[in-house]
Amino acid sequence: MVRGWFLYGAETPTVRPWRLTLSVCVCVCVCVCVCVCVCSISSVSTVQVSVLLPACSSAPSHLDSVLNNFSSFYLIRKLPVYELLDRHFLETVVYHGHLTLSLDKDSFEILGFEGKPSRFKHRAATRFGLSTLVSVDLTDSSMAPGRRSYLRLLTGLKSRLQLQTDFLLSHHPGGGASLQPLLSRCDWSQHRPEVNCSVLMDLSCPAPRSCDPHSFLEWLGAVDAGISCENSSSSFLSSFVCPEPSTIHRHALSVSVSGMLLPHDIHRLLQELRRYVEQPRLASWVSMTVRGFADSPVSWSNHEHGFLRGGENFYTLTMFHDHTYQLHLATGAHDVCPP
Amino acid sequence: MKQVEEKEEASVYQRVVLKNASPYHYLKVRLVLEDESTRLSAVELKYFIITGLKSLYGEVGAAVNFDVLKYDEDTLTALLRVYSRSLVKLWSSLTLLGSYQNKACAFRVLQVSRLDPRSSLIIRIFSEVSPFLLALTGNSRDLHLD
Repeated sequence: MVRGWFLYGAETPTVRPWRLTLSVCVCVCVCVCVCVCVCSISSVSTVQVSVLLPACSSAPSHLDSVLNNFSSFYLIRKLPVYELLDRHFLETVVYHGHLTLSLDKDSFEILGFEGKPSRFKHRAATRFGLSTLVSVDLTDSSMAPGRRSYLRLLTGLKSRLQLQTDFLLSHHPGGGASLQPLLSRCDWSQHRPEVNCSVLMDLSCPAPRSCDPHSFLEWLGAVDAGISCENSSSSFLSSFVCPEPSTIHRHALSVSVSGMLLPHDIHRLLQELRRYVEQPRLASWVSMTVRGFADSPVSWSNHEHGFLRGGENFYTLTMFHDHTYQLHLATGAHDVCPP
Repeated sequence: MKQVEEKEEASVYQRVVLKNASPYHYLKVRLVLEDESTRLSAVELKYFIITGLKSLYGEVGAAVNFDVLKYDEDTLTALLRVYSRSLVKLWSSLTLLGSYQNKACAFRVLQVSRLDPRSSLIIRIFSEVSPFLLALTGNSRDLHLD
C-alpha cells in the first residue's frame, strides 16, 4: 500500500524532456520585501537534499557518483532584473518560464504592471496587504519582444523600479553556452553543490510504517541536526527519544547536498536510491528529504508560497524494499495544499 | 484470485492531509551577549529561559515544558522544542528576556543578567521557528556562497 502524507510541501521533480530550460532562483531576499523568482513551469529548484541510509557505512560507487556529480550553478551579484527580459536571452535561453515578482505595495505601484493581491495579507484594511504577486508568462505571445506588454514591463524595470539583486542561475545539460552573453555583462562566480557525508554509529531508527508522520519527520530532523536521542525521562535538558518501536543499527550514512539543485539531478538520485533499496539489505528502507527555498514566492505547482514563521517547503520520500513508499510533503499553514 | 487481490492491495493509495497538527514547534535561537567571552552551559541557558518565563508569566510560565535538543556553547546557539500551545509564551519571553522587569534606563541600554550580576549584558536573541525540525536543519537562508 502506498501512503502519501500531505503536511502541507516542496515541489516534487517532474521528468520532462526539456530541451533547454532555464531555472533561476534568487538566493538572497532583498530586505525591503521584494522577492524575485524566475522558475520553469513545472520544475522548481531546490536548496538541499538529504539522504539517510540505515545500516550502511559507505555509499555504493554508483550512488557516490551521482551525489558528487550534481550540476554546477552560477552566482550573479547585483543583476538588474530587466536583464532577464533581454531579447536575445529570451529567444535563445528561455523556452518555458514565468517571471514572478513579489512586491510590496509601493514597489508595485511604481512598476506599473498588472498583478494580483498576495494571499498573505497582513493588513485587512489594505487591498494588497504587504505584497502583490506579479506573475508573467515569458512564453506568452503578449510578452514577445516588441509587444506592448513586454515594453511596458521592460520600461518599468529599467527606469521606474530598478530592481537589482543577487541571483542563482543554472542550466540544464547542454545549455551553458547560451548563458555566456548574460554572464559576460555581470559579476558572476561558478559554484558546485556542497556534499557532506557522515557515518552515524549505533543509531536508533524507528519503523517508518509504525510511527506517526510528525514523529518520523522529527526523528529525521534530529538525525540531520546531530541531536542525540539518548535522553532519560528524568533529564533536565531534553526528553527527546526515538519513536518506538525502534531498531539499533550499527552504522547509518547521512548525506546532504546543498546549493542550487536541479530537478533532473534529484531525479537521478531518486532512481539510484530505488535501485539501492531494491537489493536485499539489513535495512529495508531509505529516505530522501528535498528542501525548497524558504523565501521563494512560489512553491508547489507555481502556487504562491509565504515564509510566515519558517518558510517550510520540503518533502520526504521514504522508499521500502517492497516497492512501496511514503511521501511526506510539508508547507506553510497558509499555502495551497500540494496537488 | 489471490494474485489479483495482491495486485489490488499493492495499488492502493492513501492520502492524509494534516493541517496545524504538529504537536511541537522548534526554535533555533542564538544568544548574543555584549561580553562575548561570557559562556553559558546548556543547563544555565535552560534555567535562564525558565526565569524569563517565570518573570513574564509567573508560575504557569515556569511550568512550560520545553527541551534543549542541541546546544553549541561556542556560538551560544540552541535548538529548542516546545509544545505548540506554549509557543507564544516561550517566544514572547525570549523576546522580552532581560528587558521585562526594568523599565527605565536598564531597558534601553543595558540588561543585567542574574547569571552574573557584576557584568552588564546586552542580550539579543535571533531565532528561527518552524513546526518541522527538518525545516530548521536545511534553511536556505543559511546557504552561504563565497
